Amino acid sequence: MTYLIFMSAFLLMLIVFQTTLTEALFFGKAGVEISLILVIYAGFHMEVMKGFFLSFALGFFLDCIGGSIPGLFTFLYPLLFFIATLISQRVYPERALFIMGFTFLCVLSEQILIIFFSRLIYGTDLSYDTVRAFLPQAILASLLSPVFFNIFSRFRVLLNGKYPRSVKRT
Amino acid sequence: MLFSKRYQLIIIFVLIIILISMTFRNVRRSSETGIVEKLVLEMAAPLMNAINRPLEGLMSAWQRYIFLVGLEEENRKLKKKTALLTQQLIQYREGYSEGLRLQKLLGLKEKISYNVVAARVIGRSQLSVFQTMLINRGTIHNLRVGLPVASDQGVVGKITKTSWHVSKILLLTSENSKIDALVQRTRVQGILQGSGLRCQMKYIFKTDDVMVGDAVISSGIGGVFPKGFLLGFVTGVDKKGSGLFQNIEVTPSLDVTRVEEVAVILPDNMGDKK
Repeated sequence: MTYLIFMSAFLLMLIVFQTTLTEALFFGKAGVEISLILVIYAGFHMEVMKGFFLSFALGFFLDCIGGSIPGLFTFLYPLLFFIATLISQRVYPERALFIMGFTFLCVLSEQILIIFFSRLIYGTDLSYDTVRAFLPQAILASLLSPVFFNIFSRFRVLLNGKYPRSVKRT
Repeated sequence: MLFSKRYQLIIIFVLIIILISMTFRNVRRSSETGIVEKLVLEMAAPLMNAINRPLEGLMSAWQRYIFLVGLEEENRKLKKKTALLTQQLIQYREGYSEGLRLQKLLGLKEKISYNVVAARVIGRSQLSVFQTMLINRGTIHNLRVGLPVASDQGVVGKITKTSWHVSKILLLTSENSKIDALVQRTRVQGILQGSGLRCQMKYIFKTDDVMVGDAVISSGIGGVFPKGFLLGFVTGVDKKGSGLFQNIEVTPSLDVTRVEEVAVILPDNMGDKK
């Protein structure tokens, strides 16, 4: 229970940090989705239930603070977490190049799903905006992902509530 | 490992099913703000305030410095603009007094005055194509979902979620913001949709008269934004593409990434400040 409370507080602070500081750093023109990088990290390094809770809570907080389609990130983050979990069982997910490539694909997949849901729910076609809005964000997130993986690994005891498992397959 | 691989897959499958059903349930009741959502907004607001205040100080100091660098150039431009605007003002005064005379003649009502609630921006989200903003006023200040939000320079967006002390605004430039709009000069009507930092005016026929520099205002249709609020200015017109409609680019009258104070417009029977 204590773990859940501390974890929720940590995740809420991360989302607040993400929506205020990163926005200010890039003068509101771009942003780094640190929360998504954490979801991918959880997929590679955390137990299924804890990782699911983390990604669900992150998605929910993001929906509350910055989302526009209700429940969208609450759905997308756990989905991307599961994909990362399944991938990490088949490949060695520790190399920086792999992390960068996988993050790039995850951000793009997330944006494609956003386009899909926008069309499904609001009938809004966002596909014309793919290159202008989505690509820089995917590139930025993928370039910074190894740095954030490094930072998250320093918090791994907090994230896992105990000493974590090593990578799933070597 | 806590679960074997087979159990892991079963758990993942079950959780995905739960997630899908939750998402569709959420979408169906999208206009309400749940109690947990309200609590999250309430908890996030003081944190955002604590981070934003020193940041705003730093940013405004930087902007003041930038402002001083280009002050002379801007001063010259503003003097030219003032002269032009004075000329226009004289013409508009003439038109206004004529309008008043006609209004009296036809027995029409006086222009409606609005109740407003002033609010401070405490957070912004520009991470995805959905651009939102948090303000430090909520349901206890009479705010509710759907109310229009403006600043002294024009429309900012509309409220999509409210908690007791915090509200979330969907910005005018957000991709799923659609506002019924008019080109002020020719009264051509279309839909203004956000597209990142700018907007697109849609469904305007190629035969309609729209020019770069035209002001775009809210039409009042749709019931959210009152008629006549400034939305932006036309900055690009393209009639070359195939199809019936023009591609019209509109730049909002205000920079939504920099707005710090806003006013929420309340219906006449609500509000605490006139």
